[in-house]
Formats: sequence, C-alpha cells, structure tokens
Amino acid sequence: MRSAIILLSWICSLVFLAALVLLIFFLIHEGGKSLNLELIFGQAQILEALTGNAPVFKGLLPAMTGTLTLVLLAVGLAAPLGLGAGIYLALLARGRLKRYCNFCIDLLASIPSVVIGLFGFALILFLRRILPQDATTCLFLSAGCLGILILPYLVWAAQNGLDSLTAETRLIGPSLGLSLRQNLLHILLPLTSRPILGGIILATGRAAEDTAVILLTGAVANAGLPASLFHKFEALPFFIYYTAAEYRTPEELSQGFGACLILLALSASLFLLAIILEKGLTRAWKNKQ
Amino acid sequence: MEEQAIDPVIIVRNLSVAFGGRHVLAGLNLSLAGRGINVLLGRSGCGKTTLLRSLNRLNEELGGKTWGEAWIELHGEWMNILDKATNVHRLRQKVGMVFQSPNVLPVSIARNITLPLRLNTGCSKREAEHRMEAVLRQVHLWKEVNERLETSASELSGGQQQRLCLARTLALNPEILLLDEPTSSLDYKASQTIEALLRDLATDYTLVVVSHSLAQTRRLAKEIFIFEEGGETSRVQRVPREVDGIEEYVNSLL
Repeated sequence: MRSAIILLSWICSLVFLAALVLLIFFLIHEGGKSLNLELIFGQAQILEALTGNAPVFKGLLPAMTGTLTLVLLAVGLAAPLGLGAGIYLALLARGRLKRYCNFCIDLLASIPSVVIGLFGFALILFLRRILPQDATTCLFLSAGCLGILILPYLVWAAQNGLDSLTAETRLIGPSLGLSLRQNLLHILLPLTSRPILGGIILATGRAAEDTAVILLTGAVANAGLPASLFHKFEALPFFIYYTAAEYRTPEELSQGFGACLILLALSASLFLLAIILEKGLTRAWKNKQ
Repeated sequence: MEEQAIDPVIIVRNLSVAFGGRHVLAGLNLSLAGRGINVLLGRSGCGKTTLLRSLNRLNEELGGKTWGEAWIELHGEWMNILDKATNVHRLRQKVGMVFQSPNVLPVSIARNITLPLRLNTGCSKREAEHRMEAVLRQVHLWKEVNERLETSASELSGGQQQRLCLARTLALNPEILLLDEPTSSLDYKASQTIEALLRDLATDYTLVVVSHSLAQTRRLAKEIFIFEEGGETSRVQRVPREVDGIEEYVNSLL
C-alpha cells in the first residue's frame, strides 16, 4: 500500500512536470524562430523605440510595456486592499461577520473575468454622466478591474498565512507588550512573508494572462506605447488572442507564439523580482540590529 | 471565599472568562502572595491557562470576554487590570509570560531579545545590548551563546530556547512572571535547569506557574493552588505546603 502511494505520487509529479515541459517545448518549437529583436522593436531603432522617440509598428514593445504597466498597477492597487482585508479577517473579524466576509470573497473569486470586464465597461458608461463626456475605457480602468479580479488571491494569502501561525506564535508580540501595529509589522507579517509572496505571484500571473477583462476595458490592437493611464493601450494576451483568431500567414501565427514566450518570460521576471524582494526583506528582518 | 494569602500581590474577585459564549472560568476568587512560586494544579481544561492569561489580559487577543475584578500590585500601587483605563501594553511588560512550548522568533538569538525590547522602550542599540547580556546572564545562557549571538535562535535546544524566552521577558523589567507549564515540552535535564532558574528568580519576582507534575510542584512551590472539579463556579483551593503526604492529599482533591 505504502509503495503504491509513493508510486502514485511520483507519477502525479511526473505528469505535471511533463505537461509543463511539453507546453514550453511546444511554444519554443512554434514561436522560437520568430524570437528576435524585430519581433519586439519592429523596424524601429532600438534606442529610439525604448525612449519613445520612434513609434514601433509591427513590434511587441508597446504590448509589453502595456502589460507590464497593467500588471504592476493592478497588483499595486489590489495588494494593500487584499492584504489588509486578509489581516482583518485573520486577526480581528469574528463570528458571523467573518463568515459573511469570507463568503463574499469566495463569491468574488467565482465571478468569471468576462463579467468583471463587462462591469468595467458598464462602469465607464455610467461615469460618463459624471465625468467629462470623453471618459473612455483605458489602462487605469483595466488595471482597476484586474485588481478586483485578483483581490481574492491576496486576501486568501494573507488570511491563510496568518491563520497558519500557532496561537502561541500569534501571542508572542502581545505577551511582550507590543501593540497591534508593532506586532503586525515586526512579527506577524515577516513570519507570513512566504505565503503572501505566493499570493502575489499567483495574482501577478493572473493579471498578466487575463484577456477577457482588458478586452472590454481598453485594450486595442494598435495604440503604440501607452500615452497615459487614461488612454487605450496594447497588451500581450490581447495580441496573442487576436493573432490566433485572425492570422493570415504562418509568420503571423509564429509571431503569436513568440508573444506567448515573451509573456511567459515577462511573468517569470516579475515572479523573480517578487522572490528577490521577499528574500531581501526577510534577511533584513532576521539580521537587523 | 477562601482565606486571603498573606501579603498578597494578586487578588482575583468573581472572575469569569468566556470564549464564544462558553465559560471557562466562572466567578473565581483567588489571592496570590508576592515573591515566590505560586503553583496552579488541576486537570486539563479546568481553566489554569485561562486564569494565567487573564492576569495579563491575553485572553482578549484570542477573542475571550472577561468579567469581574483582577487587582494586581505593581510598583507599590494596586490596580484593577480589567479596568478600561489600564494600559494593556504596559501591563504585559510588567506581567511577563512564558508559554508551554518555547516560541522563539526565527531570528538571531540577540534579536529575539532586542526586537521587543527596543520596540517597547525605544532604547539605543548599545543599551539594548547591555540589557541583553544582563538577562542572558540572569538565565545562565550567556556562556552558552555569547559566541554565537547572531545565529538563529531556532538552532538552540528546547531548554535553551525556553531560557531565551524567559530572558526576552525579563528584559522588559517585569514584576510578575506567568509560566504556563514551562517544562512540559523539555527533557529531564533541561527541566531541572529551568526549575533551578525559577527558584533563583523567585527571590526577586512573583511567579505564577501552571504545572502538570506533582513532583515538580513539590520541588518548586511556596504556595499550591488546586482547581476543583465540578460546581457552578470555578473554585481554587489553597493547599498548605507543609501537609504531610501532600501527594495523596492532592490526588484525593483531583
């Protein structure tokens, strides 16, 4: 029985690993040949394109910049809210109120992203009555809607992280006379930085890949580098989506796969950044005098 | 109402504590003498830990509700710690606590002491280091760790970790120490070290110790209190230490 369980768990891990390797291999096989600087910068000079002095046509730079801005903004907007809510639910909320809040978070997590996109779209139509008439779908609206989409991951990360600490660990700070703020900043949050990092990685990945939300809230095929937070923008998942749907030549399809690889690399870099940040913060907490 | 301890520093009147509507303590009366080790005995679940945690209002952190009065004499002044005006943070520094299993932070040995110390007092790094050395000496840990203060406290043995927890509490200048079965997770030798340490500390501090062992109680206690079973209200009986055959006596009560 014991060996059967071990065998089964090995098989499960291998299947998972094989699926991942297969996926990446497939993407490289299909998109590898189109991976070059031209895919990113088109016909423009690299330096001029990076400084925004030359427009990039038929290159992915605008979409990459759009996605990067979008993800950072969405996580930036959602992280304080989500982590704060998680802290509240783990440490302060009790009884019926806590159950209701948790139910609402579960409900939010189960809303399809296209519905959230539609909500953003309807919101801007409504806001036009208050804001100037030219208010329209834009980068900021997309980021806000993505923020709603990823909120549950962040709430769960903080809440589960804190809940997983033993009662005696949670009582260290209070038993030494620390205030709630001191206990949170100097003991509890550093102790839960790992699960919170996990939540942020999950949220980043989700925000980077989602297409349905941005489709309805401001992503377009041709916008160039994002002019401001209140303009339309390009994004990698949107590029992949419409390339897959409307490609006319094999080269175009290959560019779509190339964009997939770039999106993966972009997400991976953001994960790496988050991991380095968490490691640095934890080291600083452990060694500070 | 049982008789008052001679020269008490803690007087609990009609104390009730409930978690989620379930009473763990109900109408408890008790007085504890200063300087020396007061040992609380009783079956598990009878409210020993809850009583301990109500003396530094830690039950509130776990969602407990408390009624009644708990008077404590701190630096010569009596205060009802359950009063709304009580500064809980100050109270918890003065009434320090050590838990059942050592709960050191996964940071360096030094930082385990200096982090709460500096947050509470805002003292300088140098002052904190002085204080750290003093309390590490007080718990007889200095010789064992002074070469490796920057290594992680998690690498220490269980007994050393428990002494570090004690030092962390002592650094804040407490007057009363609450210890919840401080040796229950330790081996025989480490327990002996802790017990010797507690006897040392008993000359300067008031100790309230929850114990699970009669033998340990006999070795440590100046006063013994036993939680009685059953009844509408929680009752604690004070047992004279001098009683012959105290083991049998305590056993009969439990």
